Amino acid sequence: MKSENGFYGQYGGSYIPEILYSSQQQILTTFEEAKNDPSFVAELHKQWQQYSGRPTPLTHCENLTQHLGGAQVYLKREDLNHSGAHKMNNVIGQGLLVKRMGKKRVIAETGAGQHGIATALVASRLGLECTIYMGAKDVARQYPNVFWMRQLGATVIPVKTGSQTLRDALDEALRDWSSSYEDSHYLIGTACGCAPFPEMVTYFQSVIGQEVQRQSLAQFDQLPDRLYACVGGGSNALGLFTPFLEDKEVEMVGVEAAGRGMDMGDHSIRLSHNLGQAGIAQGFASVFLQDDQGQLQETHSIAAGLDYVGVSPIVAHLAETQRVRMSYANDEEVLAACSLLLQKEGIIPALESSHALAVAFKEAADMRPDQHIVINLSGRGDKDIFNVAKAFDDKEFAPFLEDYLKNYHESDVNPNLSKNLSQDLSKEISA
Amino acid sequence: MSQLANFINAKQPLTSQPLAMTHVIYGYPSIGASLEWMQTLLEMGVETLEVQFPFSDPVADGPSIVQACHKALESEPKMQQCLADLGRLGRDYPNSKILLMSYLNPVYRFGITKLVKEAAEQGLTGLILPDLPIEHATEYQAACVEYNLDAIWLITPNMPKERIKQIAGQATGMLYCVSRSGVTGQKSSLQTEFDLVAYLAEIRQHTDVPLAVGFGIRSPEQVAELTGLADIAIVGSALLDTYNQGGIASGKALVAKLFPQLT
Repeated sequence: MKSENGFYGQYGGSYIPEILYSSQQQILTTFEEAKNDPSFVAELHKQWQQYSGRPTPLTHCENLTQHLGGAQVYLKREDLNHSGAHKMNNVIGQGLLVKRMGKKRVIAETGAGQHGIATALVASRLGLECTIYMGAKDVARQYPNVFWMRQLGATVIPVKTGSQTLRDALDEALRDWSSSYEDSHYLIGTACGCAPFPEMVTYFQSVIGQEVQRQSLAQFDQLPDRLYACVGGGSNALGLFTPFLEDKEVEMVGVEAAGRGMDMGDHSIRLSHNLGQAGIAQGFASVFLQDDQGQLQETHSIAAGLDYVGVSPIVAHLAETQRVRMSYANDEEVLAACSLLLQKEGIIPALESSHALAVAFKEAADMRPDQHIVINLSGRGDKDIFNVAKAFDDKEFAPFLEDYLKNYHESDVNPNLSKNLSQDLSKEISA
Repeated sequence: MSQLANFINAKQPLTSQPLAMTHVIYGYPSIGASLEWMQTLLEMGVETLEVQFPFSDPVADGPSIVQACHKALESEPKMQQCLADLGRLGRDYPNSKILLMSYLNPVYRFGITKLVKEAAEQGLTGLILPDLPIEHATEYQAACVEYNLDAIWLITPNMPKERIKQIAGQATGMLYCVSRSGVTGQKSSLQTEFDLVAYLAEIRQHTDVPLAVGFGIRSPEQVAELTGLADIAIVGSALLDTYNQGGIASGKALVAKLFPQLT
């Protein structure tokens, strides 16, 4: 979606410390040139295909459709991207821009860790230094992702200020960029931040919706009646929705995290019920959860990737102009939807994506069998194993962890072995 | 003509040594304690006092100020009360000027024009909004003209010459000249990193408003280096760190050391 000088209605813009002005201008120029350069676009599609496995399938869920008794349910399988989430689409694109700008290092913020992993993967492949900022609470919730980021060579910095979640990670990444802009690119993972990031991230993610257009025509001879996507920052939703904006007959539903209740601090609902208000923070104007003094507030979701205090200015604008209908699902409904998909279709969804499933499943039942819905399955759920096991009250999981921990410490493997091994490896690599 | 520029120029800082601009966060460590600290500084005779209204996400600030802002938010500061408190201090110390610094969102929530109007009514002379670029400042600049309050813009070392010209050309009151990259509070020596003399000379070509230099000033030598170059030396994080270590007494000692003219 094209902006008016970086604005979408009253949202967007570029509200950054002056020190970042030149870097922001450089990204603006480079992005404009790159998207009009056929060789860049060709390289982008090549990397999407060869590295991330695009196009991802559009999967017809026949069992679920029968179970729900309404619309035909289709899933856009972004979970099948390399790294297990749609985040890869954007990171590959921005990674190519980094090379084009000749920068040597990338900085990124991450919530659930999916964007952090994707960034670390691409940085490793492109030979870039990589620093990931992650809220200390998210580090604790998603340690396996932190482990892989570090194995990939990234420096992961737990952010211990403020609410210790995604928004603080974003602040800290901006601070890093303020002193490192000469050789570093801030690789924002969602369609937020100063211009041109919302437009640029949406551009790279729009491959999702473009594929759905082609696939729906090929698989059921028409465009979908309705699209569903979860909305954290908004990148997977915009990726699916944007190519359909002019198709007025296609309804779009964005799903926010209702968490554990409607009190401030218990959810991440910014756009429904006027729970959020217009504000300007973190580089852009949008809708934020804030108090009467303009202080940003704490948020909650069972899905770390939706636990964000603001939202893309493009989503805020599309919601305000009622092109996108906003809805929400609470932690309990999300787990039920996750469980239903596991049982009916043999697909393990991320808890983020399960928000979209929850609302779509509820509404699909009231639609006709000749109607089609497409739900963006933005990521796979393997990463959520600890949280889901706990939420499902799995009796075997805690004893398993205890046993594992016992063996981990008492293991008769030579404790120096792994250390020596990694040292040898790094010697080999540097040699 | 700007009250702030007149006030600064009358003291002829370029021929002696830079005036003091000390930074305090409203509400840190409590509202009462922050007002006491401001009063102490004004009693010492600091020429300009920069008061930061805390924000939850201060992206241009380094660790010292970030932590202090989060601590300050625990006492739930209100912009309306802040303006009233600063107005009272300003009336008690008419020989100093008080400037308000805030990130945009608390100002936006309060109302930009309303804030400018009420700040002017309380006798404040300038506002610093570090995340408001001049391109998005139409309403703010109009209100500043209407209520005779100075919008203080930042100039940074990496700024293209064209942009220095653009911003300096619209400057009133003073310009806040950042002396290095990064966020507030990182240590640096002023002149080793880049050519400060050339930087300030470039800015002077486009404006005759007083120049204030800040970011990383911690020692009397750094202030002395600015003599003849800048009108004002800004001390922020260093003062906060000292205050955190030894309270008001240590803070006073640092200000006295940096600005001998005050004693």
